[in-house]
Amino acid sequence: MRILTKTSLYYLLVSFVVFLVGGFSFYKIMQAEIYDEVDDQLFTDKENIIAYIQEHNRLPNVTSGISEAIVVREAEAVSPTIEELADTLIFSNYDEEYIPFRYLTFTAYQNGNPYEYTILKSLIDFEDLFESTMLAMAWIFLLLLFGLGAVNYLINKYMWRHFYQMLYKVKRYSLSQHKPLQLKNSSTKEFQELKEVLMAMTEKIQSDYYNLKEFTENASHEIQTPLAIVNSKLELFMQSETLTQQQALLVEEMYASTNRLSRLNKSLILLTRIGNREFKEQEKVPLHELVVEQLEQLEEMASMRGLELLPPELESTYVYMNRGLAEVLVSNLLINAIRHNHEGGSIGVSLQKSMLCVWNTGEMLQGPADQLFGRFMSGNDTGGSLGIGLALVKKICDLYDMKPSYSYADGMHRLCICFSH
Amino acid sequence: MKVLVVEDEHALRESILTYLQQEGYICESADNFRDASLKASDYSYVCVIVDLTLPGGSGLEIVRQLKENNPDTGIIIISAKNALDDKITGLEIGGDDYLTKPFHLSELNARLKSVIRRRNFSGQKTVQVGAIKVFPDAAEVSVCDKKLVLTKKEYDLLLYFIANRKRVLTKESIAEHLWGDHVDALDSLDFVYTHIKNLRRKLLTAGGEDYIQTVYGLGYKFSC
Repeated sequence: MRILTKTSLYYLLVSFVVFLVGGFSFYKIMQAEIYDEVDDQLFTDKENIIAYIQEHNRLPNVTSGISEAIVVREAEAVSPTIEELADTLIFSNYDEEYIPFRYLTFTAYQNGNPYEYTILKSLIDFEDLFESTMLAMAWIFLLLLFGLGAVNYLINKYMWRHFYQMLYKVKRYSLSQHKPLQLKNSSTKEFQELKEVLMAMTEKIQSDYYNLKEFTENASHEIQTPLAIVNSKLELFMQSETLTQQQALLVEEMYASTNRLSRLNKSLILLTRIGNREFKEQEKVPLHELVVEQLEQLEEMASMRGLELLPPELESTYVYMNRGLAEVLVSNLLINAIRHNHEGGSIGVSLQKSMLCVWNTGEMLQGPADQLFGRFMSGNDTGGSLGIGLALVKKICDLYDMKPSYSYADGMHRLCICFSH
Repeated sequence: MKVLVVEDEHALRESILTYLQQEGYICESADNFRDASLKASDYSYVCVIVDLTLPGGSGLEIVRQLKENNPDTGIIIISAKNALDDKITGLEIGGDDYLTKPFHLSELNARLKSVIRRRNFSGQKTVQVGAIKVFPDAAEVSVCDKKLVLTKKEYDLLLYFIANRKRVLTKESIAEHLWGDHVDALDSLDFVYTHIKNLRRKLLTAGGEDYIQTVYGLGYKFSC
């Protein structure tokens, strides 16, 4: 959930609770106030009536108070109601509904005779006032709620904009693009700190990366010459007629190892150079012709391993890339299919406008499939493999935004390269 | 036949010189740009083997210079950089062949022979070794004047053997010669054995001798 949505939601939740509690208290307070007022009026009427009786020694006219109705009846002397204050509902014929009343019942004495007075006071006016006040309050609350919510949202959005810009840039940052991370200054202290930390961190990472890369490049290049020397000396040594069989074996083993080392080195240099984007020259490469060429070259190897090359299904497809790399890509895919196969297996190739697929029979993968494109991930049964072929494929795919994918079903490995047009 | 070897790495230069001298070439060498440039312009060679990275200048400049002054000289470029663009530039301005370090001396020797053959034997286009006659232009071989039917790989293998006669050839160098960049792809050493077996059989059936000897532990030797 976005931080803006989250804060806004929390804000709305808290506001809602506050308004609910506030509304309820407001309601209770108002109700208490109204009852207070009505009760005051009732008691004033009572006082007036008693005072009237005392002054004039007769019962007052019932209409003389401020209340809506005063009911008088003779009370029984035995159990006179001293004083009773309560709510009641009285049916109004006119409105055809019950109307709330507040009443005060008390007993007044005239010449020693008890009279029970009931003063009734309609609450309907107060109720109306109360209702409209509550409604108005509710509206105000609602407007405040959403108004403040919106303002809060906008302010937050404005405040967090630097953060989102940073996030956007960091997401798109890549070491291999050779561009330093550029972030804008922010007036917010925390964001400014974040920016400084990020810049310092990426700078450090970048310089470490360059150092390491430089070291690898130098190491690979500088190794070439000594290797060439060792190779050539061993070759000369081999020509000597006086080698014993044991010596010959030793020399041959050395020679085989330096050969392997130099091939490995060549592949690593190629990997590095692809990573450095050194293959800038691009052209429209006819992939279908390339596949046919490579198949012809590898046909012999396939047949010597007893593999059947299924007739390739090729559509004319042109991909804009470096020709040399295209060759490396196709040949590594095919070699992989030949290598990880079993006697009497088969290999198929299909090329469509958007996808190149190579599938072959073979045993299921030992390790996890997502490590397939890593370096030195060769299986067990592949003597002499450098385990770098698919890493090259992956690197080339990365360079040209192609997507390699792998699947295994019914004893068939299937490697596909998806071109993005 | 005079060959100029331009290579700044002393040990490597010595190896190349030794191997080529054993093959019977008269070799001269240079270890920097100035020397190389002087020698290339003052004397004439059948072929110049030139390293691209030299102290004092680029080997490409020497190639350019040779093309201008001695267009008949064959040129083989050797370089530690296997940059495709270097390869293209080198061949475009007139290099006859290109080898990446590290390379096999036998491979260099074969390339050198092939360059010289293409340049010098423009009239007479056969290579004769014992009873074997090779017609490089037609890619045909005859033994005792009988045409021998060879596959492309067997033909390449035979030429490689002839170029490195009486030399021990390792399985690695043969495999690399036959399959190039695909060499590390498969168990090519076993394939080498199969091809050699077939070639040997064909040569024998055609009436030739068993020219290909196995050198224990090392590889093969072609002698006739």
